[in-house]
Amino acid sequence: MALNIETVRRRTKLPRADGRLKSFSLGEAGIYYALAIIWIVLEICTQFLGVPNFLDPANLANIFYQSSFVAIIAVPMTLVLISGNFDLSVAATAAISAACVLLLSDVVGIYPAMVISLIAGAFIGLVNAAIVQGLGINAFIVTLATMTALRGVLLIITGGHTASANDRELTLPLKAIENGIWVLPNLWWCAGAVVLASSAFAWWQKSHRQLLLMAVGIVLFAIGFYFDASWALAKPVYYMAAITAITYAVTRFTIVGRRLQAVGANSEAARLIGINVNRYRVVPFVLNGLAAAFVGLLFAARIGAVLPNAMTGMELTVIAAAILGGTSLFGGSGNVLKSVAGVVVIYSLINGFDILGLGTSYQGVIEGVVLIIAAAIYTVGRRRKQA
Amino acid sequence: MLNQPILSVKAVQKIYPNGTVALRNTSFDVACETIHGLIGANGAGKSTLIKILSGVIPASNGQIIWRGTSRMWQSPADASANGISTIHQHIPLAPTLSVRENVFLASAHPWRNSRSERERFEQLLASIGYSIDPDILVGDLPIGQRQMVSILQALASEARLLIMDEPTASLSEHERSVVFDAIRRLRDNHGTSVLFISHFLDEIMELCQHVTVLRDGVVVLDQPRDQIDERKLVVAIVGKETSLEVKRPTVSRDTLPLLEVHELASPDRIDGVDLLVRAGEIVGLAGLFGSGRSEILHAIYGADTRATGTVKIDGRPIGRSIPAALAAGIVLVPEDRIQQALFVNESIRWNASLPNSRAICTMNVLPVARKEKRRADDIISTFSVVAANSDIAVGELSGGNAQKIALSRAITADWRVLLLDEPTAGVDIGAKADIHRAIAALAAAGAAVIVAISDFEELLAFCDRVFVIASGRIIAERRPANTTEHELTALAGGLTA
Repeated sequence: MALNIETVRRRTKLPRADGRLKSFSLGEAGIYYALAIIWIVLEICTQFLGVPNFLDPANLANIFYQSSFVAIIAVPMTLVLISGNFDLSVAATAAISAACVLLLSDVVGIYPAMVISLIAGAFIGLVNAAIVQGLGINAFIVTLATMTALRGVLLIITGGHTASANDRELTLPLKAIENGIWVLPNLWWCAGAVVLASSAFAWWQKSHRQLLLMAVGIVLFAIGFYFDASWALAKPVYYMAAITAITYAVTRFTIVGRRLQAVGANSEAARLIGINVNRYRVVPFVLNGLAAAFVGLLFAARIGAVLPNAMTGMELTVIAAAILGGTSLFGGSGNVLKSVAGVVVIYSLINGFDILGLGTSYQGVIEGVVLIIAAAIYTVGRRRKQA
Repeated sequence: MLNQPILSVKAVQKIYPNGTVALRNTSFDVACETIHGLIGANGAGKSTLIKILSGVIPASNGQIIWRGTSRMWQSPADASANGISTIHQHIPLAPTLSVRENVFLASAHPWRNSRSERERFEQLLASIGYSIDPDILVGDLPIGQRQMVSILQALASEARLLIMDEPTASLSEHERSVVFDAIRRLRDNHGTSVLFISHFLDEIMELCQHVTVLRDGVVVLDQPRDQIDERKLVVAIVGKETSLEVKRPTVSRDTLPLLEVHELASPDRIDGVDLLVRAGEIVGLAGLFGSGRSEILHAIYGADTRATGTVKIDGRPIGRSIPAALAAGIVLVPEDRIQQALFVNESIRWNASLPNSRAICTMNVLPVARKEKRRADDIISTFSVVAANSDIAVGELSGGNAQKIALSRAITADWRVLLLDEPTAGVDIGAKADIHRAIAALAAAGAAVIVAISDFEELLAFCDRVFVIASGRIIAERRPANTTEHELTALAGGLTA
């Protein structure tokens, strides 16, 4: 028994020694390193070749704008994956919602059409969840089927043609949601405000980091008085930021996030501890459908017309981004911030290759290679942790 | 040849990397053409011994002499190639293949449907006097017939020694007699030796010619069947250990019952259970694996959705769901900590925050770091958990400490009824004492406690009353003063005392 206790002590000391460093390890923060490396390499390449700089604020704003649609779905998709499920039907849901809003705007008016589209998206999520949880069929199969069926529905309601609004004037309020920019007034102040807010939270939680955070926040504010760096970002970027921030806060800081993780990691233990497993598996699906429908609205606003095969393949980009961010396909772990970072990695590559003039042919290859590398790093990292 | 044992285990020792000593110094012989029984309490080292004999793990020390030569198996395939075939408790058959295909799974024949294979199959069936459709899918068979398929599989591999790990644990009376017949014919017609492991005393007595009893990794009894009676067997299995007696106040019989259970039943699991427990009382459920003791606890907790019957707290019936049970103050600590209780990748603190999370949150959803930490520290000190701090992942703790974390939900609120399923499974004697003390303290504070423990000595040491469970029913009620461990073992094992 003495031996036993010693072994435990020796083992348990390890995490304490590098506990704070753990969150910077390759397995934990790999996606942020990947993003940094990709940005630096692309910046050097663009400088070297004399093409417009990759890290130019305007170009970064562009990357975020390109990322925003996929990222808005990647956030609830991460929740679905954490809860131990899977959803392939999001792109089809988004396309349905886009077609709905354009076709219905003439009939019921633009605002009711928008509401109907969002409800339709949430309803599709609910149907997915009801089949998966109610009948116990694997989510992969169920959502593969609903994806196929929804594409069929889309062909029926559009008659196989491009769907667009008859009266373009009517869709102006829709366009206003997507189109246009908001300028972040003073980046330093914005960053300072975020840091001070987290300092207040740390103070409330009696964490030791509050003073450090407060100091950093004040420094950022002070810098803001001397440098005025504003940044113009497209509206969908703000939607992405808001959805990510709220979801991150809920999963990271509330008991709801823990229960979600518990359901995905060990559903029997979660049930026996009194967690409503069905609720924690259904709600992510509904949010996913809702987010997909919202992206459908943005898509309809941006393009103004929807082909029956619009956004085909986007569901895979969404899932690829979540995996890049380290989300487990078996449930129980995942981080929405990292999933969004995964989206930004993918679109940084696409954008960088555009600037470098490498053409779109290589995009698929590079995306695939990056995904394999990321998955390899996570898998090997986890194996090492277990050994 | 007949005088020489087919298998000799000589001074075999097994110490696991984490320091657990599973086998100390185990020696016994299995003679040719005999059915040899191996029996012992949980943790006696039976499964370790089976793993060593079948090549799953190597022994740390000692010799295994197989048919006259000293051998150490490199792998399970090595063992079976040399004629040792093992039927594990959970039968690893391919459910999507037919009976015949499963029986000849290991054969090197290239075609799936050969005539010679069919002929061989008929021969095998004839030799043990059994009949089964060779083309039916194994997935469609009841458990008893699957057991027969794995016996046929062992037969097809021309095993000289067949190791059977609790083959009858989930069989009906009829299926059991079919399996026993087959085993006897196997010995008589093929000269195969059988090492038969079971928890059931009556089975061992009925079937075996020679019996070996393991306790704490040592052979404590090794004699032919005719020199053994049931009483001798029970004494050998149970032995005498350090006392785990806890001094506790007696609960007056006039105290009103806190928990009442009426007509609790669940299809195929529980069959009409009635019991009542007073505040401050610790009541034990004594039963073998598969007797229904866990199922009774799950049904009281509302975790069994098919269960019927009433559960009352203070005379008021409560709803039949987990949230209703929790709201009424009933909490369950499940048996299998890895599958049912813990989130092994998460920290002690994280695990501790889930049960009764309201108590550590503001606005019911925001966990407050310092309340969480206080709860985790409380758990670590109450149960004497050996851990540097509460941020350590539960999966990195030793089994005993992980068990204490699983138990910790019992102190996350002033629960009124505690249902504890094997609260001391896999923990050493020191940790057991810690856990007993904590449970006794909770009872003294006014909780009604029901514990299911398979170690009956332990059960008698700190329960006020013991119910003996078999086939999902309460078959006897005893007070520790009026019973012995031997009587409980006999009752639960299906023998009449």
